[in-house]
Amino acid sequence: MDSSQGILQVFTWNNHEVEVDEDGFIQQPDLWDEQLALALARTDGVIELTDAHWKIIHYIRSYFQEFEIAPMIRKLCKETGFSLREIYNLFPSGPAKGACKVAGLPKPTGCV
Amino acid sequence: MRKLGDIASQSGQLSQVPVQSLMPLPAPYDRIADLPPRKVLNQKVLDRIDTSLDGFSALGLARPQTPEEEHEFVKRFLSGLEKLLSKENNWTFLEQLTLSLDHCARCQTCVEACPIYTASGHDEVYRPTFRSEVFRRLMNEYAKPGGKALAWLKGEHVELNAATLGRLLESAYRCTLCRRCAQACPMGVDNALLTREIRKLFSMEMGIAPKEIHDKGSMLQLRTGSSTGMNARAVRDNVAFLDEEIRDQTGLTIETPWDKEGADVLLIHNAGEILAWLENPMAFAIILEAAGISWTMSSDLAGYDSVNYGLWYDDAQFARVAVKQAEAARKLKVKKIVLGECGHGHKASMVTADRILTGDLNIPRESALVLLRDIVMSGRLKLDPSRNDFPVTLHDPCNMVRMMGIVEPQREILRAICPQFREMTPHGVNNYCCGGGSGFAIMSGYNFEDWRFSVAGRMKLKQILDAFADCPSPEVKKYVCAPCSNCKGQFRDLFQYYGVWEKSGILYGGLAELIVNAMTDLSQPFIKWEFH
Repeated sequence: MDSSQGILQVFTWNNHEVEVDEDGFIQQPDLWDEQLALALARTDGVIELTDAHWKIIHYIRSYFQEFEIAPMIRKLCKETGFSLREIYNLFPSGPAKGACKVAGLPKPTGCV
Repeated sequence: MRKLGDIASQSGQLSQVPVQSLMPLPAPYDRIADLPPRKVLNQKVLDRIDTSLDGFSALGLARPQTPEEEHEFVKRFLSGLEKLLSKENNWTFLEQLTLSLDHCARCQTCVEACPIYTASGHDEVYRPTFRSEVFRRLMNEYAKPGGKALAWLKGEHVELNAATLGRLLESAYRCTLCRRCAQACPMGVDNALLTREIRKLFSMEMGIAPKEIHDKGSMLQLRTGSSTGMNARAVRDNVAFLDEEIRDQTGLTIETPWDKEGADVLLIHNAGEILAWLENPMAFAIILEAAGISWTMSSDLAGYDSVNYGLWYDDAQFARVAVKQAEAARKLKVKKIVLGECGHGHKASMVTADRILTGDLNIPRESALVLLRDIVMSGRLKLDPSRNDFPVTLHDPCNMVRMMGIVEPQREILRAICPQFREMTPHGVNNYCCGGGSGFAIMSGYNFEDWRFSVAGRMKLKQILDAFADCPSPEVKKYVCAPCSNCKGQFRDLFQYYGVWEKSGILYGGLAELIVNAMTDLSQPFIKWEFH
């Protein structure tokens, strides 16, 4: 009986299955691809991913691949040229719960 | 719930925590219809996890599925109960535990001191002595010689089954460990200590702890260096970005010193500040440089993150982290460690770790509030209080203030640089917890947030609104100074839940930011009135 892990759910898309936590974050970042990103985005009501979405997603992923953590939000804005409001317009759940989730990162941890 | 023994009841939920029964909030927060609806857990989740205390779940404890599983569950708990009473296993807290178990006079003086019990509208399930008394009776009946007979004789028998344990565990995560009750107790009984011993038993003996503070908290910190998951390269990259932000915003050129051997001060922030409230570490860098302090940060494992979540639930995890932090300081041969604006980090490092850090690991540890006071009062910074001419109130983080008695330094600063500073009622050592204490501010699984905002944070929200009752309009921008990352996290989420920025114009932030905002060297205000 391992209770400390929380309950994982299975997210199904295009006949594929991935494990997600209760907030919809995938558990294995390696399983991510652009098709999955679109499927995850749709769970937040984002129907299509535009160039603007991809610019943010790719920046987050490349930062994650280098540093094993999400970029800080201020840095994300500065490097991509989008304001926080614009990011919320693109990802209604916001940079952490929206954009990072779509980019296949784990949920942020610690006192943040 | 009608009686204490209901904790063992095989069916039903002890309380529904009805919204109408909660302590009323001032207008416009009194309209129940305007509040976000409570999250409804789907039936599949409800079938698996234990919500039988109050309908909420902090841990998502899975119910045992077979009699064998239940038997094993109870057996492990009993083993933990016995270990808590043995010197070999619990040398850290045995004495305090025994005192709090043995000396409760059942006078109930403490209960009105509890912000959760009172803000819930006196819901019996949150009475601080309910959890303590159940624990005390279990200990007496099941872990002491002759306990069973005595329990029946005294009419204090408590059935021990999976339902009892599921509710006891969740109940240990309905207390923020603020210790306001302990302060009120004429005998010195500490319900928060008992709560933590329950958490500790479940974690250390049974491997059950909230994932946010264990798997993704202390375990992640010991693996990567920080509970945020920032490794040394990531933290240096992020702090380099802060240096760049300082230059862009203020024109000052600051290069944060890293791993500087022989510095006077090793500054350890809560690493969450660097990611989520970067103005705070930026403000520290500006102040320390302007005051000519010899300081450094450390890129060693845990040397750049003051958090020590073990303080809330596990002695072994606590000790592992405390030693790592002290080792980072020893390696750099600094004169002292200064803890940034992080309440539990203060208590962990400065008080509790005192029993572990001996010999050359016992490096002096000081609160940043004291250092900031000394700097401000020395006159080394040129400060203009008129730059802070907006209403400011002060939140007292429980760990720094009630626990450690650091009451005046932060007030001396605010009285000097904030002309519209006003106290909350009550304040100082009588403060109320933000409602995010003991890990709650970072716990958000299942429907726990609904409880955290509607019950745990309720008293604090009322207190903050009352402190600004003379200027309620959202047009008048107001500032809650909260020198603690955990409290800030709670305020951000609590304010968002109730729409406090939109309805009342109340922002929250740290203490260092107010000091920098008053510095005449800066051409632009440092505080940006944007909610985040």
